[in-house]
Amino acid sequence: MRVLVVGAGEVGFHLAKRLSEESQDVVLIESDPERAEFAQQHLDVLTLQGNGASLSVLEQAGIDSCSMMLAVTSRDEVNLIACLAAKRSGVRYTTARISNPDYYETGSVLSREHMGIDLMINPERECAWETFQILQSAAATDVAQFADGRVQLLGLQVKEGAKVAGKSLAQLGREMSDHHYITAAIVRDGITTIPDGDSVIQEGDHLYMLAPTTEVRDIPPLAGYDAYDLKRVMIAGGSAEGEYLARILEDHGVEVTILDHDRRRCLELAEALPRALVLHADATDLELLEMEGVAGIDGYVSATGNDETNLLSSLLAKTVGARKVVSLVHKFEYLPLVPRVGVDASVSPRMAAVNAILRYVRRGRVMAVASLAGIDAEAIEFRVDADSAVAGRRLRDLHLPANAVVGTLVRGEEVIVPRGDDEILAGDEVIIFAMPDAIPEIEALFDA
Amino acid sequence: MSLRKIANVVGLLQVFVALAMVAAAGVALGYGDGDAPAFLLSAGITAGVGLAAYRLTRFEGDLTQREGFAIVTLAWTATALFGSLPYLLTGVVESPMPAVFEAMSGFTTTGATIFRDIESLPHGILFWRSLTHWLGGMGIIVLVIAVLPFLGVGGMQLFQAEVPGPTPERLRPRITQTAKLLWFVYVGLTAAEAALYLLGGMGAFDAVNHAFATMATGGFSTRNASIAAYDSAYIHWVTVVFMYLAGVNFSLHFRAATGSFTYWKDREWRFFTGVVVAAAAVIAVVNLAAGSYGAAGVEPAIRDAVFQVVAIVTTTGFVSADYELWMPAAQMVLFALFFVGGMAGSTGGGVKAVRVLLLLKQTANELRRHLHPRAVLVARVGRKPVREEVMANIVGFVILYLLLCLAGAVAMSFLGMDLLTAIGASIATVGNVGPGFGDVGATDNYAWISDPALAVLSFLMLVGRLEIYTVLLLFHPEMWKRRKSFH
Repeated sequence: MRVLVVGAGEVGFHLAKRLSEESQDVVLIESDPERAEFAQQHLDVLTLQGNGASLSVLEQAGIDSCSMMLAVTSRDEVNLIACLAAKRSGVRYTTARISNPDYYETGSVLSREHMGIDLMINPERECAWETFQILQSAAATDVAQFADGRVQLLGLQVKEGAKVAGKSLAQLGREMSDHHYITAAIVRDGITTIPDGDSVIQEGDHLYMLAPTTEVRDIPPLAGYDAYDLKRVMIAGGSAEGEYLARILEDHGVEVTILDHDRRRCLELAEALPRALVLHADATDLELLEMEGVAGIDGYVSATGNDETNLLSSLLAKTVGARKVVSLVHKFEYLPLVPRVGVDASVSPRMAAVNAILRYVRRGRVMAVASLAGIDAEAIEFRVDADSAVAGRRLRDLHLPANAVVGTLVRGEEVIVPRGDDEILAGDEVIIFAMPDAIPEIEALFDA
Repeated sequence: MSLRKIANVVGLLQVFVALAMVAAAGVALGYGDGDAPAFLLSAGITAGVGLAAYRLTRFEGDLTQREGFAIVTLAWTATALFGSLPYLLTGVVESPMPAVFEAMSGFTTTGATIFRDIESLPHGILFWRSLTHWLGGMGIIVLVIAVLPFLGVGGMQLFQAEVPGPTPERLRPRITQTAKLLWFVYVGLTAAEAALYLLGGMGAFDAVNHAFATMATGGFSTRNASIAAYDSAYIHWVTVVFMYLAGVNFSLHFRAATGSFTYWKDREWRFFTGVVVAAAAVIAVVNLAAGSYGAAGVEPAIRDAVFQVVAIVTTTGFVSADYELWMPAAQMVLFALFFVGGMAGSTGGGVKAVRVLLLLKQTANELRRHLHPRAVLVARVGRKPVREEVMANIVGFVILYLLLCLAGAVAMSFLGMDLLTAIGASIATVGNVGPGFGDVGATDNYAWISDPALAVLSFLMLVGRLEIYTVLLLFHPEMWKRRKSFH
């Protein structure tokens, strides 16, 4: 399948990288010569320098033979025009990165019925949702949802003295047979492994666990965390992400304080958010943060447009005693830094966009996918059709690649944490955790 | 600022006033009062002066906002002056000042009268009093805009300056259409009320006059005892309902007429209605507890409480019971209602419910600001935020309103009134209510008041009707400074 990616910014670059690693033919169009050059040198893709909304450039990129267009420049209008041009040229699937809600809200002339753009991804809003999910769990560094929210993937760091530390997975399975979860990946010293029964968990490990959403609350205590309720959240920075998050929190009955250093932006926020308290203040004004009760606050999210300010602000909040601190990080290079400096979790709008788009790229039998910051593995959700080769086979007979693991089976309303003897039935939704190089093999297995 | 343009529009408006006088002449003729010539003479003078001003000047270009303010204020002043002619020429009033007061009270829908014995007045004069109410209620200028689209864009300036409330709502893209729709609703409700009065056994003449006075939230009656003259619960309740409807934003009525009932969604409506219900309940309970309705029963106590609350809050000023005989607590509740007024976009006067509501919210915000000194707080009506400039405008308005009431009361005391009467007369005229407290109370009139005091009160009525800023701007020195313009 040939995929056309317009825009080689962080989102486009990362998408092109992921897709080419999964053996897709990727053509990348970028208007900035330097960035196009950079992508050409670092990725196994065809790079064209030019305007992605121009028909001649699209023709040059071989739009006739493309089956998918991902328009992900930072400009809504360019993305829209590129998608419309692609549709005209017969491209089957089109995705546009859109930040302005006017364009994607229901009833927009650009909506699917009217213009045929199949997916509009708003990075800021995706990011806000991800932040909300992370905030909801005391320990989580990453959260992703599968099977319409019935299964959750939780990333968390093992605390000192945690119950699970120093034990192998097999041992844990025997000791806690009443717990329904599966350890899908372990990240240690920056290296991701898909564990087997002999793998031993150590303090400081970063674990990725899959569990039915109803039982996710039981996981953090295993890794040494207290369970908690989300009642009060402060958002430092009135960025688009901050505003979306404030709205989501408001809708969930969480008490929100949001601050920004620009008075006019504060007024906009105060007008847009009926219940939140809006403060005109700086994200690094420690005295004010203390006065407004950051100590003991359930969640603190630094969401200014500046990564350095966000990290600093998060650290201040953590020092003063905020329980869970999440930092908005735009630059991918900073993502691995976050756990080292002591911030609980990070979110990236661009990574959120990449995830949302990848989820869509693998449409068909693939229903959802989550790329996780700082690690290479991906979680993918497949639906098993009646004619599928895997239907009716036991897990142990699947012969999955070593760097892949079946996390959960969803059968109707039932969520199964599987063992080797469990059978896959037609109609099941299967969530698999895998390293990128294993993905083509798995896709082949499920497609066959 | 072009005086020619102003004279042109003001002159034209007087022609409409003259037409109204011709209508009153018709009534006088029909009832054989013998006042028809006096009305026609008044109409002739008014039309003559108006037409002269209109023909000797020309209207060119657009209206500036300043010109709009000047036109509205001067047009209302001229209307009151010419509107006093029928009183003088028919001889029912002997000196000019009381006549001007009566005309101003009519057009501003205040309903304060200088007549001691209303029932002895001829039909033509009674009808003229009610007609001044009815024209002033929805606004003479709004009427002219509805009929004559010649003002074009400038019409909006005038419309804004005349229609009560912070920001008038446009029901249609064109201002002329909006004005027409508002008058359509106004005429419809007036006709409905008159018909219901007829069904209740009121005479046709009284029915029309009371319908005019009710829908304009005026308060002139054809009876000395006002509505209390009718010993009919039905007539009292009909009056209550229509006074209330006149105090509600006419845009809501228009929507209801076109099939979409949006009353409940409107926060100002909820507040306004809440105030009415709460105040009426308190007064009814206080009066019943005091035993003042001992023999009469519960229904009259509730009816009088609701009637007086609606009459005062909508600034109509009809009287069904002498509220000055009520318990002090009940009177005090009524006193507070003098400062609420009707909804924005209604024919009612006063501060307007939406301003009171927003002021309360702003006050709550100021309290909250002490807890969070860096907070940016926005007052809102429902979910709709109110911009800071609008809020500042409202705070300024309420302060000016209160200062005006105070200044009026001080002036009245200097002109010889006792404390209660001075305060009562001041708040009753600024709010366009009519009856106040003390010697201008529910069963009193303004007949005994000296000319200078009447002049001050006439001014207060005008300022109150045109929502203060429009009139006071004329006294601001910068208003009259020449500015270079391209026109």
